[in-house]
Amino acid sequence: MTRVPKNMAASASALPLALSRREKGEQERELVRLAQSGEEAAFEELIRRHQQRVFGLVSGILRRREDVEDVVQQVFLKVFLSLKKFDQRSAFSTWLYKISVNECWDYLRKKKVRPLTYEADMSEEQVSRLDGVASAVSPPESPNRRAEVRDLLERMLETLPDQDRALLVLKEMEGFSVEELAVILDLNVNTVKVRLFRSRAKLMDVYRRRLKTKPGFPGAGETKT
Amino acid sequence: MNPGDLNAEYRTPACSQYEAALEDYVNGEFADRETAKLKEHLQTCSGCTDALAEAQVAARLLRAAEPTVDPGAGFARVTMARIRAEMETLEEKSIWRPFVSLAWKLSATAALALVLLVTFDVKHRDNRLDQDELAIMAANEAPELLSDEGRQPSNRDEMLILMAEEGHAKH
Repeated sequence: MTRVPKNMAASASALPLALSRREKGEQERELVRLAQSGEEAAFEELIRRHQQRVFGLVSGILRRREDVEDVVQQVFLKVFLSLKKFDQRSAFSTWLYKISVNECWDYLRKKKVRPLTYEADMSEEQVSRLDGVASAVSPPESPNRRAEVRDLLERMLETLPDQDRALLVLKEMEGFSVEELAVILDLNVNTVKVRLFRSRAKLMDVYRRRLKTKPGFPGAGETKT
Repeated sequence: MNPGDLNAEYRTPACSQYEAALEDYVNGEFADRETAKLKEHLQTCSGCTDALAEAQVAARLLRAAEPTVDPGAGFARVTMARIRAEMETLEEKSIWRPFVSLAWKLSATAALALVLLVTFDVKHRDNRLDQDELAIMAANEAPELLSDEGRQPSNRDEMLILMAEEGHAKH
C-alpha cells in the first residue's frame, strides 16, 4: 500500500481555510485518481472527507438510526467497487450522494418496515418546548437542546411520506441546497422547491395536531367542521 | 388567519403557480423582479400569506435541530477494514470460480454420457430379445422355414408373414 502525500491525507477540517473551492476540487480529483489506481489510503481519505455528509444524507432518509452506520459502510463499499468506472465528469460528491440515495431507497424497499408512530407520543412538556422553539427568533444554542428538538421533530417527521421527510431533513437539518437535492434525487429544481414547500405544510399539519392535543390549548377537543 | 398564527387551522392552500417562489422566499433566495411580483400577490392572497407563514415556522423548527454528528475518525478505518474483508472474500470466490465452472461442465458431460449409455443398452437389449424370440418361435412352429436359406426372416413380422404363407400353401 503506497502512502498518500501528507497534504492529501490531512482531514478536511484541517485544510487551510484559505484553500479555494477550486483547489479543494482539484485535490479531490487527485485523490480519486489515486484511489482508482488502487491507493487504499487515498480512498480512506475520501471516506474521511465525506463521511459526515453521507451520514447526514442516510440518516435523513432512513428512519432507524441503528441501520445508518451499516448502510453508510455499504455505500462506501459500492463506491470502492465501482470507482474505476467513475469518469470524473461530475463531482465525486454528487456521484457518491446519488449512490447513497439509491442505497437508502433499496434498503427501505427490502425492509418494507415502517415503524408505527402514534399521534400522542409527546408529553405536554415536550410539545410546549417545541412551541417555544417555533415562536423563538433564534434557534437554541445548547447542543443538548438542539438534539432534543431533533428528536421531537423526528417523531413528527415519521408520520410523513419517505420523500417528504427526506427532503425536509436533507434541506433544513443536513444543509443540502435545493440544487444539490435536485441532482442527487434526479428531480427538476422547481419540482424540489414545490415539494419542499408542500412538505413543510404537511409537517405543520402534524405539528398543529400535536398542539391541539395539549390540554388548555384553545380549541383542544373541538371537532373540526 | 394572521400570518404566523399557529393556533389557527390552515385551510386555504397556496396558489400552485407561486409555490416555488414561496419556497425561494422561505430560503431567502429570490430575484428582485420575482419578489416584487410575489409581494404584490401576497397582499391580495390570504392562502399564500398563511402558507408562507407556516413554511417559515417549519423552517425555524427544522433549522433549530442538531445536524447529524460526525461519526469520528475511527469510522473511515473501520469502513476500510470492512472493504478489505469483502475484497478478500470476493477474491477467494474468484480463485475458485474457474474450478467450480469446470466441475459443473464435467458433471454435465458425465451425466449426458450416462444417459446415452443407458439408452443404447436398453435398445440393444430389446433387439437381442426380439432375435431370441424369433429363433424360438421358428424352431417350435415352423422348423421348415429355417431350412430355406433364401427365405430367412429378419424380424418377427416377416416370420409371421412367412408362417401365414406357409399355412396357406399347405391348405
